[in-house]
Amino acid sequence: MAGSAIFRQEFAVKGGNFAKAGVVACRIKGLLKELGLDTQIVRRAAIASYEAEMNVIMYAWEGRVKLAVSPGKIRITVDDRGPGIPDVNLALTEGYSTATPEMRELGFGAGMGLPNIRKNADTFRIDSKVGRGTHLEITIHTNGQKP
Amino acid sequence: MKEKKHFHAIHITKDKCIGCVRCMTACPTKAIRVKDGKAWIIDERCIDCGECLRFCPYDAVHSHTTSFAALDAFEYKVAIPSTVIYGQFGSATLPNEILSALRRVGFDEVYDPSAICELNTAAVEEYLHEHPRPRPFITSTCPVVVRLIQRRYPGLCPQILPIEPPREIAAKILRTILPKALNLPSEKIGIIHLTPCPAKMVSINSPATLKKSYLDGAISIRDIYPEVLNALRKGQDDALMRHLFPETLFSGNGMGWSLSGGEIRGFKSHRAVAVSGVSDTMRVLDQVESGLLQDIDLLECTVCPDGCVGGPLQVENRFLAKSRILQLVDAAGDRAVVDHKDVSRLYHKNFLSFDHPVIPADALPLDADPARAIAKAQRREKIFKKLPRRDCGVCGAPDCWTLADDVVRGAARLADCPFVKKEKR
Repeated sequence: MAGSAIFRQEFAVKGGNFAKAGVVACRIKGLLKELGLDTQIVRRAAIASYEAEMNVIMYAWEGRVKLAVSPGKIRITVDDRGPGIPDVNLALTEGYSTATPEMRELGFGAGMGLPNIRKNADTFRIDSKVGRGTHLEITIHTNGQKP
Repeated sequence: MKEKKHFHAIHITKDKCIGCVRCMTACPTKAIRVKDGKAWIIDERCIDCGECLRFCPYDAVHSHTTSFAALDAFEYKVAIPSTVIYGQFGSATLPNEILSALRRVGFDEVYDPSAICELNTAAVEEYLHEHPRPRPFITSTCPVVVRLIQRRYPGLCPQILPIEPPREIAAKILRTILPKALNLPSEKIGIIHLTPCPAKMVSINSPATLKKSYLDGAISIRDIYPEVLNALRKGQDDALMRHLFPETLFSGNGMGWSLSGGEIRGFKSHRAVAVSGVSDTMRVLDQVESGLLQDIDLLECTVCPDGCVGGPLQVENRFLAKSRILQLVDAAGDRAVVDHKDVSRLYHKNFLSFDHPVIPADALPLDADPARAIAKAQRREKIFKKLPRRDCGVCGAPDCWTLADDVVRGAARLADCPFVKKEKR
């Protein structure tokens, strides 16, 4: 019984909606805290979900963030409809960014988004189709700590 | 190590409370409920910000600050006022007159805090120089911010910059020198802070970073105001003379400390940002927790609007007080009264440091068991969907979401909602 309990929540993110930047990550963070998870785990999930949410806001047209928490594991999946990433490996390079000057002006687009997500996750999977969109799936184990 | 059970400075007087929902809806941490026609505060959630005190129209929210009469317990009484006090008596009254009026009111000595504020800024800069990480650091001056971080942002505790605020540093200095100078045991010397802030009392009674506070109490500016006003009126003839012989040299950088941005105004080589107001502070701390603002060296956060000058226990309206203090800041200019070499020496002796780091408060998860916490979160979603989402507060919780939360925590019943009851009938 205990192993089957999964808490699921879904959030919509609209591309270009900078006014609501970080709202989803904040909700996720609040939920994880209420579920009694370790501070460091919550922080990693908060950073990863913030970056993922921002990627949708900055580059995609719309997206959905799905959170699933079971005892032992947090899974965050993000599906967006958007331009996709032509070269995923390049996008995973620290400092690589296609952000516009306007985005950089706002303090975004330092090219740390995807690398930062990967750094804070225990498993990381990304799948992107140019012209269609991007599927991102990460998990964070809540029992063991990653340095 | 867990934080021990703490003292609160804010209390609701049952006789005056009529059970309206104003304090409850104003509370930023959702710490108030109305049950059986009276408001009550959930201790673990309260951060002593004083928002309820501002919003209560019935004068039913009280702060436990030190009474004037309590000073009689001390043989020698010292006051360290907040610089907010300089903004309380109009633009014709100079700080020196206020300090002198405080002496006539019954303090044996009164110390202007602006020099110590300047000292603190210099020490904080030195700390930032020596500690390139993490970023941003957060100042500890506002005791409510410290409590907010302990409760809502426990992961940010290590980012609180471990230099004591000016009120404690000033008291510590006086504790060191006065007993010898006066030949009195330390406990006979009462060192009292004069403040517009109820939470200072909390930081004195249960300090978050010291074994024991160096202060003996805090008198609210609101309580001492009539006495000072009276003393100022009686001393009008002397005032002119005092204008001509100023006794205290005020620090330009220290003078503006009670205004948002005042703590960082004297910064020379670091990027610092000032945030004020409780909801804006929470928004920014949320961003820091998501890994943002790492290009900022220091965040000055104060939960009162415009900084301490917006404290709920001051008298003058905060805009006038602010304008008066800005005049004084202008008049003092960049005048420095503290030698940086002295600051550096005290800093390296650890004289200005916390006794211990800020310790996170007990978290309040839905359940200690992860599986049961998940089940409760699922149930809470279901309950929330049944609620009308009008956030009217009639059930005794500030909004529908909090009622759903209380229900799964066993602190309320779904039937407390008057709309749900109707549907069932």
